[in-house]
Amino acid sequence: MGFIPDQGKSLPPPAVANRNSVWLAGVGWCSAMLHNAINHRPPLKSGVHRQFLMATIGWFIGYHLTKYENYTYARLDRDMNEYIRLHPEEFAAKEKKTFAEIVEPFHPVR
Amino acid sequence: MADMCFSSGSGCSLSLRVKHGQARLTFGSRSVFTSSKPDTANPNWVRVGLAFGTSAFLWGLLFKQHSTDVHEYKVRNGLE
Repeated sequence: MGFIPDQGKSLPPPAVANRNSVWLAGVGWCSAMLHNAINHRPPLKSGVHRQFLMATIGWFIGYHLTKYENYTYARLDRDMNEYIRLHPEEFAAKEKKTFAEIVEPFHPVR
Repeated sequence: MADMCFSSGSGCSLSLRVKHGQARLTFGSRSVFTSSKPDTANPNWVRVGLAFGTSAFLWGLLFKQHSTDVHEYKVRNGLE
């Protein structure tokens, strides 16, 4: 999760509900419940404000993490396609053979 | 019962010594001698308010950031 440069801002932003957000919110919630359990408190029923805060922090971090992930993959794709465009000789299409040319003649032995 | 603590009393942090017939896991949390026990019946409303307030602030920040990002995307791709 880091600062996304200017070129990354033209990417479609992630939805507020995204995989990383949901997962990290779950992680935050479970860590709050674990904290309750360690301190001999009822895990689900006690400290709802703590559970909500930890889940919120996880959701927030997840959103920015998804944004950074999208930017990273877009950058890698762009660089890869640019390389392919500049080096077409390394990506020449192989000439295709049909199965009829490859397969050996069949002599059944019955 | 297993006794991993070689000092008497409650100075050890890892102890399964039988106490009043019950073995308790005492690692993971420490027992601190305070004059008052943590009062679970009366919540610390300041802390509750701060926690919920911070959560509300973070959610607001998130939605603001999201709407800014969507607007920025539309502007840069000529959709608005």
